[in-house]
Amino acid sequence: MKNKILIIEDEKILLDLLQKKLSQEGYEILVSHNGEEGLTMMKEQKPDLILLDIIMPKMSGFEVMEEMNKDPELKLIPVIIVSNSGQPVEIERAQSLGAKDWLVKTEFDPQLVIDKVKKLFA
Amino acid sequence: MTEETDIAGKITEEKRENVSLLEDLSSLESYARELFSFSPLPICFASPIGVILEINPAFERLSGFGAYEIIGEPIESFFKKEDILNLSKETLEKGFVRERELHFNTKDKGEIIVSAFSQIRKVKEGETIGYFISFFDLTEVKKSEIELKDSQTALLNMLEDVEQARKKSDEERNKTVAIISNLADGLIVFDAENNLSTTNPLSEKIFDIKGRDVMGRSLEELETFPTIKPLIELLQKNPKKQLFREELVLQGETTLEVSSVFMMLEEKRTGTLVILHNITREKVVEKMKSEFVSLAAHQLRTPLSAIKWTLSMLLDGDLGSLTADQRSFLEKTYISNERMIALINDLLDSTRIEEGRYVYRPVLSNVKAQVQTVVDNFQEEIKKRGLKLEFKKPDKDLPKVRIDEEKIRLVVENFLDNAIKYSSIGGSLVVAIEKGKEEVRVSVTNSGIGVPEEQKKRVFSKFFRGSNAIKTETEGTGLGLFISKNIIEAHGGTIGFESVEGKQTTFFFTIPMKEEFEEFLKDF
Repeated sequence: MKNKILIIEDEKILLDLLQKKLSQEGYEILVSHNGEEGLTMMKEQKPDLILLDIIMPKMSGFEVMEEMNKDPELKLIPVIIVSNSGQPVEIERAQSLGAKDWLVKTEFDPQLVIDKVKKLFA
Repeated sequence: MTEETDIAGKITEEKRENVSLLEDLSSLESYARELFSFSPLPICFASPIGVILEINPAFERLSGFGAYEIIGEPIESFFKKEDILNLSKETLEKGFVRERELHFNTKDKGEIIVSAFSQIRKVKEGETIGYFISFFDLTEVKKSEIELKDSQTALLNMLEDVEQARKKSDEERNKTVAIISNLADGLIVFDAENNLSTTNPLSEKIFDIKGRDVMGRSLEELETFPTIKPLIELLQKNPKKQLFREELVLQGETTLEVSSVFMMLEEKRTGTLVILHNITREKVVEKMKSEFVSLAAHQLRTPLSAIKWTLSMLLDGDLGSLTADQRSFLEKTYISNERMIALINDLLDSTRIEEGRYVYRPVLSNVKAQVQTVVDNFQEEIKKRGLKLEFKKPDKDLPKVRIDEEKIRLVVENFLDNAIKYSSIGGSLVVAIEKGKEEVRVSVTNSGIGVPEEQKKRVFSKFFRGSNAIKTETEGTGLGLFISKNIIEAHGGTIGFESVEGKQTTFFFTIPMKEEFEEFLKDF
C-alpha cells in the first residue's frame, strides 16, 4: 500500500511542485491550502505523514499542531515543517509540539524532501 | 632832693633806659637771626624788584649753593621764571601768597617742586621794602602722590577687572542657564553626594516632576517618585561607571537614551551629569524600517523558493529531459537565484541584529572542527580558481570554547569567501588557527587586491564594499563583515584585519577561552 502524505501549504506553486516531486516517487499525495481544511482532511484520510507550512492565513502551522495534539490519533502522525524562516525559537516551538524535522524553503531542494520522507518511512 | 639831682637822676634814668632798650633790641635781633637760622624751612628775603637780599642756611642746604652765590642774585635764577614772577606780583599786590607750587632749581638735584608761602614786608611808613619767601620740598610728597595715584589706578584697574570678570561670569551663567533650559534633551545633575542639584524644563516634563519638589533630594528619596524611579534604578545599577549609555523605556512607550557622565575636577568627582535623549521616534522609525525589510524579505522568500524548486526539479529531470544548452542556462539561473536568496538572508540577519533578535545559541565546541567544515566546503571553489591553500592548525587539540557553531561558521565563510573572490590569479590562501593566552585566534590571509587605505575605517559598516572590490566582483551585499563583526562581538571576541592594498590581507577574529563571556551571550 502506498504511503499517504498530506501537504498543507498556502502557496499554490510550492504545493504543486512538492506534489509533483513526491508523486513521482510513488506516494499518494493529499493537498490542502490552509490549516482548517488540512485538519478536516487528516481526520478523514489518516495520512502517514504531514508536510506543514507555518505561516498561513486563518490558522498557522503551530495552531494546526496544537489541534492535532488534542486528538490522540492525529497526535501520532509524524509532521515535517516546511517553513519560510528558520529562527531557533520557532524550531524549538515546533519541536516541543512534536515536529520531526524543520526545513527552510529557500535552503533545500525538493530532492531533500524525498530523502527525509524516505528516511522517515524506512 | 635838689632839682639838679633830679635832672641828673632823670638823665641817668634815660640813659639807663636807652641802654636797656638797645640791649633789648640787640637781643631781639639775635633772636630773629637765630630763629631765621634755626628754621628747617628755606627762607629768603627779596627786594621789591626781586633781588635776593638774605637767605637762611636751610635755603643754602636745599639749593646746594653757598650764600655768596645766592645773595645779590635775581630771584628768578632760582625758580622757574614764570612761577616766581607771578608769585612776586601777587605778593606785592595782595601782601601774601599761600601754598603755591613752584619749580625750584637746585645745584645737585636739578629742578624740584616746592610749596611756597610769601609775605610782604613794609616799614612803618608803609613803604614796601621787600618780601619773604619760605617753602618746603614737595619731592617726597609728589613721589608719594604719584605712588598713591599709581596704586589708586591699579586698584581701579583691579576693580574694573573684577567687575568685568563678574559680568563675564554672569554672562556665562546666563548662557549656561539658557542652554540648559532650551536644551532639546532632558538634563539632570547630581552633586558629589548624589543629591539632585539641577533639572531643566524638559527633564521635568519627561518625568512629570517639578524642580522645586525634587531639588536637593537623595537618590533614595527620589525613588519614592514613581515617574522618576526607573531612572534612579538605572543609575543605581551603574554607580561606579564614569560613563555609560543605556536605553530606558518608560511607561507610555517613551524610550530614552540615558547618558551618564561623572563631572571631574582635579581627579575628584564633583557630580554626575545625566542627559536624557528622547529616542522614541527613532525607535518607532527603526522598528518600522526593520519590519518593512523583514516583511519584504519574507515576501521575497516564497517566490525565490518557488524558483529554486522549479529550477532544481528541471535540473533533476523531473519535468522532462534537457538539452545541454538548456541545462547550462538553467544551472546559471539556479546560481543567480541562490545569490538572491543569500542577499535576502543577509538583509534579514542585519535587521535582526539591529532589533537585537539575532539569537545566539552557545555550546561548548571545538573551533577547529567548525573551521575545518567551512574549509572543506570551499575546497572545490579554491581548486576551480587555481588558488593554493595552506591550513595551519595547532598540533594539540584546542580547549573547547562556548560558541554558536552556525554563526561562527558563517564568519569563517564570510572571511574565506572574500579571500577567494578577491585573490589574485594563482594566489595563495592561508587559514590559521592559533591558541593565544586567553583566546583562540582564527585568521584568513590572501594575496590579492587588499583594502584601500582611506576606506579601512568603514570595512565593518553595513553595505560597505571596497571601491576596488566592486570592480573585481560585482556581486556582494556589503553585509557579510557587518554581520560577522556583530557575531564576534556578541561572543566577547575581537575582529579585525591588516591589509596592504594590492598585496595581501589578513582578516582575523578571536574568541575568549574564559567562561565570563557567557555574560555577553546572555544579552542576546
